[in-house]
Amino acid sequence: MTRALFALKLRLFRNGSHNERAFSLVAGLILAALVIAGASLSTRGVIHEGWIAVALTVWGGMWLFGPLAQPRHDPSVISREWLRGYPLRQWRLARALSWTELLGVGPLITLACLSSLVVLAAPGGTVAVAAAVAAVVAQLYLLVWAGKTVAALAAWLLQTRVGMTLAAVQTAIMLALSFAGWVPVAAWLLPLLGVGDTTLVIPTAGRLPEPMVDVLAASPTGWGYGAALAARDGAGAGPVLLPLAALLTLGALLQLCWIALTVRVLRRPPRQARARRPAVPGRALSLPFTTPQVAAVVSRELATWLRDPARGVELRSAWLTPLLMALVIAATDWIWALPLVGPAAAVFGAMAAVNTYALDGTAQWQLLTTPGALKADVHGRMAAWALMFGLPSIALAAVLWAATGSPLGGAAVGGAIAAAAAGCAGAPLLALVMPAVGADARDRVYPGQQAGDPTGGQMTIFPVVLLGAILPGVIGGPWWGSVLVAGLLAAIVLGVTPALSVRLLRQRGAGLLEAMAARDTAVLRAATGTRS
Amino acid sequence: MRNSCVPAVEVAGLTQRFGTVLAVDRLNLTIPPGMFYGIVGPNGAGKTTILTAMCGLRRPTAGTVRVAGHDLRTAREAALAQLGVMTDGLSLPERLTAVEVLRYSAGLRGLDGGWRARAGDLLEILGLDAVPRTLIVEYSTGMRKKINLALALLHRPRVLVLDEPFEAIDPVSARSIEQVLKQYVEAGGTVVLSSHIMDFVERNCRRVAVVAGGRVLVEGPVEQVAAGSTLNERFVELVGADPVRTLEWLA
Repeated sequence: MTRALFALKLRLFRNGSHNERAFSLVAGLILAALVIAGASLSTRGVIHEGWIAVALTVWGGMWLFGPLAQPRHDPSVISREWLRGYPLRQWRLARALSWTELLGVGPLITLACLSSLVVLAAPGGTVAVAAAVAAVVAQLYLLVWAGKTVAALAAWLLQTRVGMTLAAVQTAIMLALSFAGWVPVAAWLLPLLGVGDTTLVIPTAGRLPEPMVDVLAASPTGWGYGAALAARDGAGAGPVLLPLAALLTLGALLQLCWIALTVRVLRRPPRQARARRPAVPGRALSLPFTTPQVAAVVSRELATWLRDPARGVELRSAWLTPLLMALVIAATDWIWALPLVGPAAAVFGAMAAVNTYALDGTAQWQLLTTPGALKADVHGRMAAWALMFGLPSIALAAVLWAATGSPLGGAAVGGAIAAAAAGCAGAPLLALVMPAVGADARDRVYPGQQAGDPTGGQMTIFPVVLLGAILPGVIGGPWWGSVLVAGLLAAIVLGVTPALSVRLLRQRGAGLLEAMAARDTAVLRAATGTRS
Repeated sequence: MRNSCVPAVEVAGLTQRFGTVLAVDRLNLTIPPGMFYGIVGPNGAGKTTILTAMCGLRRPTAGTVRVAGHDLRTAREAALAQLGVMTDGLSLPERLTAVEVLRYSAGLRGLDGGWRARAGDLLEILGLDAVPRTLIVEYSTGMRKKINLALALLHRPRVLVLDEPFEAIDPVSARSIEQVLKQYVEAGGTVVLSSHIMDFVERNCRRVAVVAGGRVLVEGPVEQVAAGSTLNERFVELVGADPVRTLEWLA
């Protein structure tokens, strides 16, 4: 059975989309080559070998946190639903499936990266190299099963409302640490920056502290590293074999855990959506300065943001991230930087809303068959975004300015205004230009189901909105200048972009619907190409 | 004032190509107003493609579609205003309840206050008022068909285009949909539907087009197309069915 499943997975790989896989392969191999080059330099004493332990820990962290950091992904290639119908014992099936999990880009690039251990051990001779090869295999085994088990656990958790919130919290922590994790370090290096003093406190540590390397080598991601170094240094059988045995034992336990979780999935009947908390039919929304058509779309959008599980994760993480960033900053001497959380909130709000058309899926047919609906839809999405993210971002910047009296307060408010305008107008536009098509809205019951990966759109809108956030502070001068520049920028962006989005929706709407029905953006590209 | 001389739907030279595949080949149809019109054909015949082009969801490779005299290409908004569409297998705003989705649709179309009474009637007749707090995403296939029909009828269109309205639904749901459609046609509306259920088409449609390979094989009043036998028998005869050899291993 394992052979049949291997063949099936290979066939699925061959017939599936290669873009993302090819990108991961190339990027992964480049990174792996850098780690190997680092190992080679360390054997010549150019850099400290502890950096290889750091690199392998980060790589292992990607296995552990990668799947969790992207809660929209279902990492399985062979559909569990499809296999449910076969009269096979679930344990046997899950065990056979587990071996197919070793087939993929992740294990391949990790194998390449871990071969740096062989380079590290090479000066120790043939026996050391053989031990390092064994360490590579054992470490790979552990990392693969750690990652797969975490992903399976995440998929299980994401079927519940609590899991959805946990996923959002986890994503928010990752993002907050990525975007504000440097602030404590910077505050340490430049403690008086807030009063304009740029005196740099130079750290004295020139190389990695030994205790840190010891901790990294003692953690499971460093066991292979420890075994390879022990073999190189001729430390005897114990220090080499013990970590290898630990890697294989822990890996086997994790594989067993994954098999148990997969058996659970195979036994469960196909899930139907169920109202856990019955929705109370909302009242008609009446908004000032909007037509009934736009108000209808705003009402739909607000309900969808609060009820759609995929949007729910994005909404929660988009708001939790700036709040956590504020906590990180508040814990340092850089209190003056707090108002900047306002523009950051607008940036994260824009990233959260960059795939709304694909998330709504084939529901777009209704817009295409209703007179005047396309324009109302674009304006309604923008108004809903302004209510959910834009206006609160500006308010957040203003409140934190008032609370801290920061000299950057004016620039932060101006930045929040410009960033909110850029996010408000840019998110629907990018949702049309770069839709990440996944499972259709009617088939998505919980966020763990494939809802399309919007990373491309997010990475595109991020610098655009960030630029909007920075410009008022850079060219505005005093606080009123920043706000004035922000107002002008907002007027230009909000005046030009919506018309472009409506035009694009008219041109590409039918192709977009077709792509969503086929769950393939290549259909959209083909339709656009044919028409142009 | 409705002009009875203007066809409800007029399709001329409709051609739809997908790459090298010719899905619809220079198809012509004229559907008078007040007609219950059926389009039948085997799987892959092009029925959904025809209906999709008819309601403006796909731009045809060639040919024109007119709805109540309005060309979908040149007077799209006017043509769409006359149409009510019921799709098969497509999503709706899934996180809304039935009342919310009807309110949304009414708002999107800018309907006057009369829509509330119509929505109430439709929800009651189609049995959706019993689940006021259920989201669309939680609906069964039959409930989805019903809410789609309610959405298609809410703005009192002149033409209803229905793709497989009876596919995969229970007889009770089918009956309530059938009753509503009959009332609609009796009131002067035009129904154009595709279906595999020959019994329904024979019972309700006044005219039928048998489509295969993207072309109309035969079109006319149902009795005339059936030509003395049942529509099902005539359909199999027209489309052609290979004899099924005996599978010895089934014994």
